[in-house]
Amino acid sequence: MTLLELEDVSVHYGRIQALRNISFTVEEGEVVALIGANGAGKTTTMRTISGLLNCSEGKITFAGQDITKMKAHIRVVHGISQAPEGRGIFPGMTVMENLDMGTFGRKDRSGVSKDLDRVFDLFPRLKEREKQFGGTMSGGEQQMLAIGRALMSNPKLLLLDEPSMGLAPQFIRQIFKIIKEINNQGTTVLMVEQNANQALAGAHRAFVLETGEITHSGTGKQLLEDPSIKEAYLGVG
Amino acid sequence: MSMTDGPTPLQTAAAAQAAEDREASSKAAGRSDLRQRGKRKSGYFSDRWHALSRQQQWAFLVIVVVLAYLLPLLNPPIITTEPGNNFALACFDMARFALIAVGLNVVVGYAGLLDLGYVAFFAVGSYCAAMLTSPDSPFLHIPYLWTIPVAMAVTMFFGVVLGVPTLRLRGDYLAIVTLGFGEIVRILATIIPAMKGQVGFQNVGHPPGTEADGTPIFSNSNGVPWYWLTLTIIIIVTLLVGNLERSRVGRAWIAIREDEDAAEIMGVPTFKYKVWAFAIGAAIGGLSGALFAGQVGFVNNQKFDVTTSILFLAAVVLGGAGNKVGAILGGALVSYIPLRFTAIAEYKYLIFGIALVLIMIFRSQGLLPARQRLLAYGRTAFNKVAARDTQTKDTDNPTAGPGTRTAGERGAEA
Repeated sequence: MTLLELEDVSVHYGRIQALRNISFTVEEGEVVALIGANGAGKTTTMRTISGLLNCSEGKITFAGQDITKMKAHIRVVHGISQAPEGRGIFPGMTVMENLDMGTFGRKDRSGVSKDLDRVFDLFPRLKEREKQFGGTMSGGEQQMLAIGRALMSNPKLLLLDEPSMGLAPQFIRQIFKIIKEINNQGTTVLMVEQNANQALAGAHRAFVLETGEITHSGTGKQLLEDPSIKEAYLGVG
Repeated sequence: MSMTDGPTPLQTAAAAQAAEDREASSKAAGRSDLRQRGKRKSGYFSDRWHALSRQQQWAFLVIVVVLAYLLPLLNPPIITTEPGNNFALACFDMARFALIAVGLNVVVGYAGLLDLGYVAFFAVGSYCAAMLTSPDSPFLHIPYLWTIPVAMAVTMFFGVVLGVPTLRLRGDYLAIVTLGFGEIVRILATIIPAMKGQVGFQNVGHPPGTEADGTPIFSNSNGVPWYWLTLTIIIIVTLLVGNLERSRVGRAWIAIREDEDAAEIMGVPTFKYKVWAFAIGAAIGGLSGALFAGQVGFVNNQKFDVTTSILFLAAVVLGGAGNKVGAILGGALVSYIPLRFTAIAEYKYLIFGIALVLIMIFRSQGLLPARQRLLAYGRTAFNKVAARDTQTKDTDNPTAGPGTRTAGERGAEA
């Protein structure tokens, strides 16, 4: 079943067009990666889906519902949750308080403790640091916190904006394994990555963005083997 | 940090964690340092405060409140502002500033919205009281006490009117727009004939009641009843604001202050809560304005300039943005210093400037930093955590030392 569908979505920053008629779908249960160079429009796409940016044209459908005009904070209630780029955690709040903020839009308080257990299972490190201020943690821990916090709303679709940004290679592999684990638990994942190698290896399907347009699409494996992708994004060829 | 060095296969997260723990035990010093950094934010006073039992806290509060009420009667020798200024009136002025600071703290401290035109709300409140009670005003007249809720409602309305278009802006832009709003109100008071510009309104009303000899209790020259009234209002407002702070609303405000986009994608209707912060802050400013108008008995356009706005802001920053007790202290100090040291009153802006620079260097969070009860549910979350800790304390609390007593332990002692 199609969970998310973008149809001819265009986004402008003032007079500059950042996205040109983007169309793609995310099926339920998938991990979908969006790769591309700096300025290709990856983060713009994410912010448009989460509702922080408005699209100037086009239509976004989520779980059969038109959400094009829906405000970001309501999209959370409908099941879209984002771990923002640059982590975007609340630095002056403790880990626990950050996680608690993730439940802000929830109607079912009863599910909270289950999700807290889930997050602590995925990230035992967070449990250990629950009293620590978000801002005093390392980059990797902040990333975990951002993902954990996004999961606290028990989303249908998890948006990850550059989960590997600024992390050491060892930890990048770990993050991708955790993403896979999250997906195995039934959450659909859409991620934006510059680390194309890892992203394509971990994704069911992927799209390549170039200057605001989708230029390639296919399964992760297909794109990994595509010569032009290899050359442009994988540092091979 | 340590998570990234060394091979940590994530076969299971728990295995990685076990490796981490081995590593961590050798790095206990580094970790406790991190915790210390976290703790330091809360500051010395709040640590001391939280170390007290609930009863001790109450007892302390009662003493402080009683002393606060007695302040103008005690007229303590060194603290007093006499002979330069009547001490009771000075007390009222301090209370008025403290109330303003509590209101502005909601906007600036909790929600993190820089409002440089807060004096506008104060002005609106003052004019409300003046125009509804002064014989100079052609409008209908109502008893003074009724003007207080009216002033609050009207300023709240103005808060929403200003907030709805401007709160879509962020940071610097918002600051500039509010600065403009402050000026607009002052200039309107000058050019609208009904608001009487510099001539102003005389004989603004006051609460009812007369002494045995027939003079009103709430007279312009006697600050004591005004001070008591304002102090009572401060206590009520602080309790209300404190409840808000601990509620869902407070959490939303703090999230907005920390990171607005992140708050929005957590499901916080940021715009709505920002308008609420503005409206509530405005209402408290208006309340203070109405009290001021009543006490002084005279309102014209001369008292609501930009520097007053900046002074209000200085009070909040000085006391500790985000901490209502800090705001009260900051407000009282900003008012007190020029009244007490009349010789230097002329230089008050110079002195505040220097004081602010020094505070920003040495105590950038203000005199009483916000972390004290920064988070609405900080204590709740803390208790949850503490409950976990006591269960797993023997195995999982290697860095706990003196000073990190948990709320659970305190509760047990109390």
